[in-house]
Amino acid sequence: MRKADLRLDLAEWAMRKRPHHPDAIVPGHPEKSALIKRIESTDSHFLMPQTVRGEAKPMSAAEIATLKEWVREGAVYRPHWAFEVPVRPAVPAPSALGGWARTPIDNFIFARMETVGLRPSPEADKAALIRRVTLDLTGLLPTPEEVAAFLKDTSPDAYERLVDGLLARPTFGEQRARYWLDYARYADTYGLHFDNSRDIWPYRDYVIRSFNNNKPFDQFAMEQIAGDMLPMKNLDPLIGSGYVRLGLSSNEGGTIPEELRVNIARERAEAFGATFMGLTVGCAVCHDHKFDPTTQRDFYSLSAFFNNLDEKPFNDDRPVWTPVVRVPSPHNEEAYNRVLEQRSDLETKINDMRCNSRTLVAQWLASGVNPPRPVPASGLVLRLRLDEGSGEELRNSAPNANPAGFRTSTMKGEWGETTWLWPDFRMQSSTRVLLGQTGDYEAKQAFSAGGWFMVRAAPSHPGSFGTLLSKMDSTQHDRGWELGTDDGFVSVALVNQMPKGSSSTEKAKTQHKNGQKDKEPEFKEPFNYPTPQDLTKKDLAPNKPPAQKKAEEDAANKEKAKAKAEAKAKKPSAAEPSKDTTPAVAIRVVSLTPLPIDNAWKHIFFTYDGSGQASGIKIFVNGAAVPTRVVTDNLGGATIRNDAPMQLGWRNPEEHPAKDARYQDIRLYARSLSLDEVERLPFEDYAAEIASHPASQWTTDQWHVLSEFYLNHVDPAYQAVQREIIPLDKQLDLLSEGGALTQVSWEKPSLAYAHVLTRGVYTARTDRVEANTPHFLPPLPPGEPRNRLALAKWTVSPANPLTARVTVNRMWYELFGTGIVETTEDFGIMGQRPTHPELLDWLAVEFRESGWNVKHMYKLMVMSAVYRQSAKSNPQQLAKDPRNLFLSHGPRFRMDAEMLRDIALQAGGLLVERIGGPSVKPYQPPNIWEEVSYPTSDTVHYVQEHGDSLYRRSMYSYVKRMAPLPDMDTFDEPMRDVVCTRRQRTDTPLQALVTMNDVQWVEAARALAQRVIREEGSDPKHRINRISEIMLSHGVPPSMATALEASLRKMQKHYSADPKAARSLLEVGEKKRDPSIPEPELAAWTMIATEMLNLDETLNK
Amino acid sequence: MKQHPLCTDCESPVTPLDLPVPAAVKQEWAAIETRRRFLGRSGKVLGWAALAGLLGEAGLRSVAAGADLTAHPQDHKIDLGLPHFAPRAKRAIYLFMSGGPSQVDLFDYKPNLASQFNKDMPDSVRGNQQLTGMTAGQAHFPVAPSHWPFRQHGQSGTWVSELLPYTGRMVDDLTIIKTINTDAINHEPAIMLMNTGNMNAGKPCLGAWLAYGLGSMNDNLPAFVVLQTKTNPKENNQPVSSRLWGSGFLSSEYAGVGLRSGADPVLYLADPAGVDREVRREMLDTVERINRKTLDEVGDPETNARIAQYEMAFRMQSSVPELIDLSKEPQSTWDLYGPDARQPGTFAYNCLLARRMAERGVRFTQIYKRGWDVHNDAVGMLPILCGETDRAAYALVTDLKRRGLLDDTLVIWAGEFGRTVYSQGGLSPDNYGRDHHPRCFTTWMAGGGTRQGVTHGETDDFSYNIVKDPVHVRDFNATILHCLGIDHNRFTFKFQGLDQKLTSPVEASVVQDLLA
Repeated sequence: MRKADLRLDLAEWAMRKRPHHPDAIVPGHPEKSALIKRIESTDSHFLMPQTVRGEAKPMSAAEIATLKEWVREGAVYRPHWAFEVPVRPAVPAPSALGGWARTPIDNFIFARMETVGLRPSPEADKAALIRRVTLDLTGLLPTPEEVAAFLKDTSPDAYERLVDGLLARPTFGEQRARYWLDYARYADTYGLHFDNSRDIWPYRDYVIRSFNNNKPFDQFAMEQIAGDMLPMKNLDPLIGSGYVRLGLSSNEGGTIPEELRVNIARERAEAFGATFMGLTVGCAVCHDHKFDPTTQRDFYSLSAFFNNLDEKPFNDDRPVWTPVVRVPSPHNEEAYNRVLEQRSDLETKINDMRCNSRTLVAQWLASGVNPPRPVPASGLVLRLRLDEGSGEELRNSAPNANPAGFRTSTMKGEWGETTWLWPDFRMQSSTRVLLGQTGDYEAKQAFSAGGWFMVRAAPSHPGSFGTLLSKMDSTQHDRGWELGTDDGFVSVALVNQMPKGSSSTEKAKTQHKNGQKDKEPEFKEPFNYPTPQDLTKKDLAPNKPPAQKKAEEDAANKEKAKAKAEAKAKKPSAAEPSKDTTPAVAIRVVSLTPLPIDNAWKHIFFTYDGSGQASGIKIFVNGAAVPTRVVTDNLGGATIRNDAPMQLGWRNPEEHPAKDARYQDIRLYARSLSLDEVERLPFEDYAAEIASHPASQWTTDQWHVLSEFYLNHVDPAYQAVQREIIPLDKQLDLLSEGGALTQVSWEKPSLAYAHVLTRGVYTARTDRVEANTPHFLPPLPPGEPRNRLALAKWTVSPANPLTARVTVNRMWYELFGTGIVETTEDFGIMGQRPTHPELLDWLAVEFRESGWNVKHMYKLMVMSAVYRQSAKSNPQQLAKDPRNLFLSHGPRFRMDAEMLRDIALQAGGLLVERIGGPSVKPYQPPNIWEEVSYPTSDTVHYVQEHGDSLYRRSMYSYVKRMAPLPDMDTFDEPMRDVVCTRRQRTDTPLQALVTMNDVQWVEAARALAQRVIREEGSDPKHRINRISEIMLSHGVPPSMATALEASLRKMQKHYSADPKAARSLLEVGEKKRDPSIPEPELAAWTMIATEMLNLDETLNK
Repeated sequence: MKQHPLCTDCESPVTPLDLPVPAAVKQEWAAIETRRRFLGRSGKVLGWAALAGLLGEAGLRSVAAGADLTAHPQDHKIDLGLPHFAPRAKRAIYLFMSGGPSQVDLFDYKPNLASQFNKDMPDSVRGNQQLTGMTAGQAHFPVAPSHWPFRQHGQSGTWVSELLPYTGRMVDDLTIIKTINTDAINHEPAIMLMNTGNMNAGKPCLGAWLAYGLGSMNDNLPAFVVLQTKTNPKENNQPVSSRLWGSGFLSSEYAGVGLRSGADPVLYLADPAGVDREVRREMLDTVERINRKTLDEVGDPETNARIAQYEMAFRMQSSVPELIDLSKEPQSTWDLYGPDARQPGTFAYNCLLARRMAERGVRFTQIYKRGWDVHNDAVGMLPILCGETDRAAYALVTDLKRRGLLDDTLVIWAGEFGRTVYSQGGLSPDNYGRDHHPRCFTTWMAGGGTRQGVTHGETDDFSYNIVKDPVHVRDFNATILHCLGIDHNRFTFKFQGLDQKLTSPVEASVVQDLLA
């Protein structure tokens, strides 16, 4: 907490009256302002500021004078520059500019340069220019032929035509995508624990395609944030929405579901903040941001947008986990897109109705047609709404309830983690809800029971459900009754006696009375579109770990088997169940198909007519009767009464738990409800209750319940559209058969909300907050649903001060090496100030007003005079501006990891220039993955590929988060755990080891040597010149030629004397060498090529 | 306050590049500077020392006197002012027992538990502890007393399990902490918290902080080295990941360098087949010749860095093989470490390498040993795990002590959390499993200014809650930094607008009781 309730960074705080404290700032009156008195004080106890340890840390006289002057002038707080909408500033016209400027950018740059006494450098020579611009726009070198053609072209627009040509190349999209994948945290594994593979490479293709098609950036941004909610003519928006799901995920055995859910939403909010807002919102996870105005409330409101996906909470160690979409193959694409567009139109109708639902509900209730009807309360003996929200008392809200309530025992339940009808109730592992002798019936008594349940799966218990509600005594051969589930099969049992352990271990599906086995029930992913409905278990099965070398694997397996046998021998004997021969006297009825194990709320209910027959039991899910089969039916008239208390979630005393299940509105009726009544139980009964109160009193949650009920059960138009969609989804499934799967986003119909968490601890929930944008930025338009679509529109709205600035700044960073705001990731108070604030704003407005035209912006920048300057620097420039922040010479810096490897491959003609597709596994030293991975991870063994896969561009190399490719890692490729908008650029000896010794570089050197030997005849001078042209885009200067020729003679001598060494060197790498070249000759030239590949000039752009 | 320009922690850093000195001197300085950046050598001690060497003391003074001493605002590193105070430890070796060793079976002696066998642990003890998904559904939490007897050892009479006979021999050298506690209950977040002070990815680890702050004491070896122990397929090998030795927001040159068993002890260290030292030297000479020309023409100081970078790589190619060449180790070494130490990749081998690195000035060595995750068959697994580690850890401490290195080398033994006293799954008279337990676990430290023969903190009768002297992971890390002469509150790096530190923004304190 802030001492004395004061903070000075916000006007409202600094000016507020604080009881018993002097005014901190009195505008216009420094002498009355405690702030000024404090900083001027000579009393070291009184003086401010102080260090954390309370030592005085006086300000300088100049600083004090400035503050005093500011207070005298009225102490005006201006918003932080980055939070004000950029307006296009006037382009400066410095008198000394002369003819230097080629674009308005240059006027800004020149004006700034003048203020620090610097002058621009001359234009780079054409060779340097084409190398620089080709590398920047395509990530590859210009070929010597391209260089020659450019040098020859003396027309005034030669450079512009070159730029246009480069912008039109498909490699432009690759190069831009390479940066964007850092900004989007793209990787091929999910990053934690098993760190298994995850299929989302079609997203990478989408990014490349988007840049190549020059998709307007606002569209590109919106698709990634909420593509699933946009109208679609093709799959791109949906594939783009995979952005949301690129972050880390986990399936660690002990993971606590709430913790993971909170972490995932948090990660997405932080990523969004970094990618699109350039803000470090994550600082507000634990507390209000110390410097930026981001409050904790802002942060969690932002995270709420990403907390409402219709997704599997755990990944089950699968390569895809829903929602996923299947990408049609090219020949079906057109047909697929036609259907998709139809579907999208219908979806738009649905969204419109949802947006309009409050009006529709009001009209419906006012009309008096089909009003919601409650279920008569007769026979209702127990109703636990479980809406208390806190504490240990559970109210029984049945009429004349006796007892009127119950207490949780052992451990309190957990309240309000999620919201269904209202904030919910969950049983902790030791929570017990004992409901006394309510429900102690004879078999001839009709009764009905059930309620809303969320039976949860988790990595450690993926499918084993348990008791939902029971009055059953496991110490008395399970006498009593029980509603439960086994692996998703809903089961109702009325028991006189059963052999011990039978129903809890027996798989409901295993056998019929006649001993026949049921067919394995058809597996369905529980999700709707976009996940194809015909995906089978096989499609979604976890990948198996790839085999290691046979011998090693066998040895390991042997060890494992042995260990297992040993462990088994030691297994506690208590675990062996004793055979119980008690004959079963019971009724047991089980649903024919299992419920999906998807952690979703379901209304599960049964009725029993007191007939003593299995046929008297009906099971309902979400109000509809489900087909059942009879497992046992020999109760006859035997008693089921017992002394055990009725219990939620357990069978008395402590068996067959529904682990950590959630509950809402649990009911027991001492009668058999009619079909019509059961149908109304899940929603209509509560809707009727809400509708009996005036609409002005309804909470947001209640509005939501009424809307859902109205749309799904009353409104014929809505249901008709829903029905129209069904056949389209079938067509889409068919048309995409066999296509690649990729993870995407899909919004749930529920409200997007989150909880503010004290110190970010997932159990320390305080306020529940609806999705919203940070309070210090423009608000969302009123009346629209607060969901990702709203966030997406807001992100690219003209009122948003950040998105355009942040994006053009990153473009600048890519080309010039340093952003105009150096901290590309932080535009907040603590970020760097822009070196050229007006230029940044000019570019931001230009970007927006150009229709978010990405290629236009890159072209503008590379056409500028400042970009075209020579990179040479002189001591004066170095002294005045050692980091070239004012750009008095052209950019020169070490290329990124991927570019270095790519140009090495390109130089030797090894590079395979194919765009897109799944990731590849090029060379990697042994034991990188094995050393860190879990033994059953599907990324435990790196299985290197062969042929073309070794020579693809580096952006296609497989990214395993827990063990990055070491050559890329050495050159600062980020780990993709979190968003990286600014790479480090280190120089370490480990890098020299890579470019000298890595098989890829040695092979590339050999290929380069072979190429020039073949292309250039026998004169070493020509060959050396050619290498220089290939790598450096210019012929070899004399001094370099001398050095290389001398080196060549030594190498030739060496390898002629040691042909064995020559052969060994040439055997590095899988590409076959040209056998027509004598080995010592090729080896010597390989070393010359290595020298060239390792030059400072080669490694720099 | 301006300080003398030769003072190593002066507020306004000045480099030889600011001074009117000959170009050759600047060049040399740039080369040294590059080395410093690689090795994370902090301060400009090295730079100034080298400069003084070139010019002589008097020359340097005259140069400094005439220099413009305006600061280079971008160079924060020079201003770290480390160490903050005289360090007790110059280097540290961290034996990381990944998976969560069972304090109940190794160190936290609870004689009264025998009578509680198979009885439910009282709910009052468990309190509101969130359980992992693996035992959250258990109806019962039956107490599993340790299968192994404990014995008292040494002058201090410290109780240690029979599983650790060698550790027993050295208890008088150890500070045993029974009351470490953490916020995380699952491996991923817990191992991150332990190593980086934060449960989420993106923060630098302890070793990276040390490499950044203190650098190496050997210009030819990295400051921070990570060793992986070969996995034993019998064990439950929880994964580790390179983010545990990553540099987070610090420059990536401070990340741990993996020293591997096998042909390439450092990745890409070996020259390719057919390239011998002579060829390599010739190649490097040619490259340097051309690079110097480039430097003259383009004037980019980074070119200097590149020249130095290649020279260092060349030297590393000899210094690392020398480091791992154990052929000159005397017989006494093998007697001490045992036969495992001859097998590359074993924990014993890694401990021996750690000692050799300590001798050669590597600042921080971290050895990962996986497999401590005994959810079941604790009785089968723990003897194997202890057999692999007990003797080697003892040998390392003893070896350092014999060589006089223990006084200024801090040795740390720790995992990411402890294990539950109650059994996970079935309990029998002969076996049990244990789930993760964050509320208390045991670690030890030796040397480097820590106290000897003491045990810190007490847990309750169930080794479940702390009753006296808790030590949070943050406090533990603050204490480690303290031993190395670093005030954890002052050792910060500005990132995302915050003065980031290893101990996180949350309050942490040095545990004075652990220090001699």
